[in-house]
Amino acid sequence: MKVSMNWLKEYVNLDPDYKKLEEAFNLKSQEVAGLEKLVDIEGLVVGYVLTCEKHPEADKLHVTTVDVSDEVLQIICGAPNVAAGQKVIVSKVGVVLPGDFKIKKAKIRGIESNGMICSLEELGVKEFDPEETGIYVLGEDAVIGEDPLKYLNLDDSVLELDLTANRPDLLSMEGVGYDAACMLDLEIQTKKHTYEKRKEENNFSVYTDTKDCKAYYAQVIDHITVKPSPSWLKARLMAAGVRPINNVVDISNYVMLEYGQPLHAFDYNRIESDTIIVRHAKTGEKIVTLDGQNRDLLEYDLVITDGKKPIALAGVMGGYDTEVEPDTTKVLLESAYFDPTCIRKTSRRLDLKSEASSRFEKGVDPNKLIKAMEYATQLFVELAGGEVVGDYSFFDNTQKDPTRIDITLEKLNSVTGHTFTISEVESILKRLYFDYHKQGDLFKIDVPTRRQNFYGYQDIVEEIVRIYGYDRIPTTIPATPTTGYLTKKQRLRRTIREYFVNNNFNETITYSLVTQKEAVEFDQLTADTVVIMNPLNKEKDTLRHSLLPSLLNILQYNQSRKIDNIFLFELGRGYHNGYEREWLSGLMTGVYTSTLWQGKKEVSDFYLLKGLLESLLVKLHLEDYEIKKASEPLPTMHPGMTADLYINKQYIGYLGKLHPQKEMDLGINKTFVFELDYDKLAELYEPNLVMQPVPKYPSVSRDLALVVDRDLEAQAIIDQVIFAGKKTLKDVSIFDLYQGDKIEPDKKSIALSLVLQNPEKTLESSEVDQIIERILKHLDKTLNAKIR
Amino acid sequence: MEQKLKGLVEELEAKLSQVKNANDLNLLKAEYLGKKSVFNDLMKQLKDIPNEEKPLMGKLINEAKQQIAAKLDDAKMEMDRKLVEEKLKSEAIDVTLPGKSSNVGSKHLLSQVIEEVEDIFVGLGYTVKEGPEVESDKYNFEMLNLPKDHPARDMQDSLYISEETLLRTHTSPVQVRSLLENTNQEPMKIICPGKVYRKDDDDQTHSHQFTQVEGLVVDANATLADLKGTLLFVAQKLFGEERKIRLRPSYFPFTEPSVEVDVSCYKCGGSGCSMCGYTGWIEILGAGMVNNNVLRDAGYDPDKFQGFALGMGIERIAILKYGVDDIRAFYTNDLRFNKQFRGK
Repeated sequence: MKVSMNWLKEYVNLDPDYKKLEEAFNLKSQEVAGLEKLVDIEGLVVGYVLTCEKHPEADKLHVTTVDVSDEVLQIICGAPNVAAGQKVIVSKVGVVLPGDFKIKKAKIRGIESNGMICSLEELGVKEFDPEETGIYVLGEDAVIGEDPLKYLNLDDSVLELDLTANRPDLLSMEGVGYDAACMLDLEIQTKKHTYEKRKEENNFSVYTDTKDCKAYYAQVIDHITVKPSPSWLKARLMAAGVRPINNVVDISNYVMLEYGQPLHAFDYNRIESDTIIVRHAKTGEKIVTLDGQNRDLLEYDLVITDGKKPIALAGVMGGYDTEVEPDTTKVLLESAYFDPTCIRKTSRRLDLKSEASSRFEKGVDPNKLIKAMEYATQLFVELAGGEVVGDYSFFDNTQKDPTRIDITLEKLNSVTGHTFTISEVESILKRLYFDYHKQGDLFKIDVPTRRQNFYGYQDIVEEIVRIYGYDRIPTTIPATPTTGYLTKKQRLRRTIREYFVNNNFNETITYSLVTQKEAVEFDQLTADTVVIMNPLNKEKDTLRHSLLPSLLNILQYNQSRKIDNIFLFELGRGYHNGYEREWLSGLMTGVYTSTLWQGKKEVSDFYLLKGLLESLLVKLHLEDYEIKKASEPLPTMHPGMTADLYINKQYIGYLGKLHPQKEMDLGINKTFVFELDYDKLAELYEPNLVMQPVPKYPSVSRDLALVVDRDLEAQAIIDQVIFAGKKTLKDVSIFDLYQGDKIEPDKKSIALSLVLQNPEKTLESSEVDQIIERILKHLDKTLNAKIR
Repeated sequence: MEQKLKGLVEELEAKLSQVKNANDLNLLKAEYLGKKSVFNDLMKQLKDIPNEEKPLMGKLINEAKQQIAAKLDDAKMEMDRKLVEEKLKSEAIDVTLPGKSSNVGSKHLLSQVIEEVEDIFVGLGYTVKEGPEVESDKYNFEMLNLPKDHPARDMQDSLYISEETLLRTHTSPVQVRSLLENTNQEPMKIICPGKVYRKDDDDQTHSHQFTQVEGLVVDANATLADLKGTLLFVAQKLFGEERKIRLRPSYFPFTEPSVEVDVSCYKCGGSGCSMCGYTGWIEILGAGMVNNNVLRDAGYDPDKFQGFALGMGIERIAILKYGVDDIRAFYTNDLRFNKQFRGK
């Protein structure tokens, strides 16, 4: 809402320094978006053109002498309409026009020019008189040497308020006046409107058959002349950000801005009956609206009809066929109350948001229906020469009584945590112009209808606190006895984040919405995508199942910016019909660590990734895990380099290398990825630790080199060693792998390091030999493994 | 005898000066102090000496022996010292050659801010609640005093999956779910962090996906003053102990009264600068007292319970704290951006 300061001054006696008002709105009402002059130009004067001659050197220029009261200036003017005897707007040397255009002394084709005669366009207010071409000529009554902006009523400042949806009262100047008066503790001056009317029978009638039109007033006004509005009216509209059109349209808009009640004027002679019926549209009905669009109507749309066909889309837009034209002489003026939800539905569906619809959909003040119509009628008489044809026709079922709300002082104090006194509350209610009755500490408050959306004591608390001042409310901390903690799942996220960050990985957060194709790529569950009905665009119309496509996009992005060594991880959800699953996903590519001058570097590969994930599991005490060759690797994965991870025999996810085709498609280097089910991981994470005694007796290490079939998996050997080693075997690890000419081509050699320990006593070397013998026999029997 | 002993010491000194390595020294030690050393012979000769001279002579022999032992020890120590010195010399390295590069990873800036906010609230006795991002219209809007066709729904253009499901536009539905789950209606202090979505085209200041943390306190007597005190505490923890806060009226359907919360500018201290648009204040979050309709819909009697709620945008906090100039940077994941913020 743009608030003209000159207009507001009609309601309250404002301090000329508007800063106080601005601060009051900011801290007690609505955020101020700006406080600016309507025309921000200093030093314009009214000048009188004494002489006007053709420039001897240029056909299109004139040399003028202009009386500006304290001096006579010679000014070169290029406008075709300049003439001696005109009163004009003069920018003297030094004045700065919009666009940072500073007027300087100049020589134009050899003749000195000491200023500029201005057009409205040059002042940035073309819409004040769009017909005008060239310089703007002021009226005879303009006083030479005075401020032309004042003469044109353009010497105004505009306070722009960002309104919240709960304050439709501030969509009217009167409402702004009440709020300003209350905040600044000033008196409010309200207005009264009167006019003469022709004493004759009004045979126009209005009806409705729906509850969605609670009131309809219609006033017929005859003998009007459609013409431009006077400058004060145009200036007010411009300050409010509304473009002046002609007196009929301008009066409706002006009164709407004054009282928040939208009005509509029909060309009376184009209404084909003497009856208005407001009803819901019928299926298949159409209307051509003011903007020339043919609109298909639905049953919930409210329409104004002439008894047969719609002539306006109620509260949203007038009809083309009954529009006021330049030759209109008789109008029907409408002031009505339409159901907010109805208006909102229609204006949203047709994407027709107007000043009128935005007021109706928030609920207008039923006590302004008549006042607004009377004021507009008065203006039609004054500004359009109209004659009022008898009384208005109407029906009105609106609730015009104030809303009664009770609140006790105790309630107010217990909600705010501040101790208000009775007299403080009374003083604020008086400033709000809310009537009330007091019974002890109970206030029975009558909230006037200009303040819609009051339902209970919380609305009263809100009013009292904002006027009293939030800065005067104390600061305390809730006494509520609760304990604060993170759940196991929430703490685990942090542990995992720290782990990856400490191991070179960068955490990412990516969009949940992806393309339909990306949504199901790397999908481990079901292909039932969740699709957005009204997407922003095709790139983001489906919720993802896997995080990997997003991570690969980021890899691609960074690789194309010459970053080759990339390690990413993300914790985020995948979305399916009816459930969401949190994933821990990541990828690695390039050199992981290096000291190149020592000739050492570690490049991303399967075993590096596997080791990182295994170490994470060890850290989380999830040591009962298995990593097996993937039985059914995803088509985007390398079938020979992908493994499934099981913890406590439950499938958790997979790790492996991307399919070479996928790498080629994306144009990326060798990339290793993983995606684990975080929900399951968190469920299995149960670190219930009990101290184990530190062994008292030393352990013994033995190394074994075995020759086995080439395609035998290392895990099988380890499993059998563990089986045969029984309790005494504490650890087994692989420290060498050999395949080559020194052994048979279908064999490989694997070197194992075994650690043996007896918690009860020191192992004798003969015992160790016995155990090793047992293990070797077992390996020979089960795996045909021979000692090398 | 005395002369002989003196000669022995001198002889040893001469031999020590010739010693080249540890082996030489060991041989020398055996020669003088071993089982077959000259001192053994001398001790044997002692029995031929008159009894009254025996103590004196014995003393002299022992002294000479100790002297020799000390000199051998000194020589050994000297030799070790030289060995260590040589080792040090030969092992010296160029410490300016690069170390093993172990590129330190980075925690996402949004995670860092979420964790910081969580820690502040956990310290105040709040628990952290989570909920689905695909949410029903009922929990996202209707139970938050936003019935269908409420004008305030315009404030939040939503991404719908069906007429009744959408991507949550705030984390408030988690508050509704938490109220409903709290069947014993115990006093409750929770925060709800998470991803939220709006139908906004992405640009420098808008993102269709962003992150919120909302807080909710419901009990018999949580007051507006409690809200103010909590907000002040949080603002000071996030932006510095010197900060002040300012509450301005606002509107959210689920709270009444509703406020916007400004923090005094941490750059200029409140005197006005380009950071705060020369107002001295920066808007950081929205809050208010829980609307009675919300309590009622969740089965709470508004005559017995009251509370407050607050909600902040994590991106906004990060933008303010770290001077990030484009909200899209959080989601682009350009590693040159991410790696600037490595976490605490």
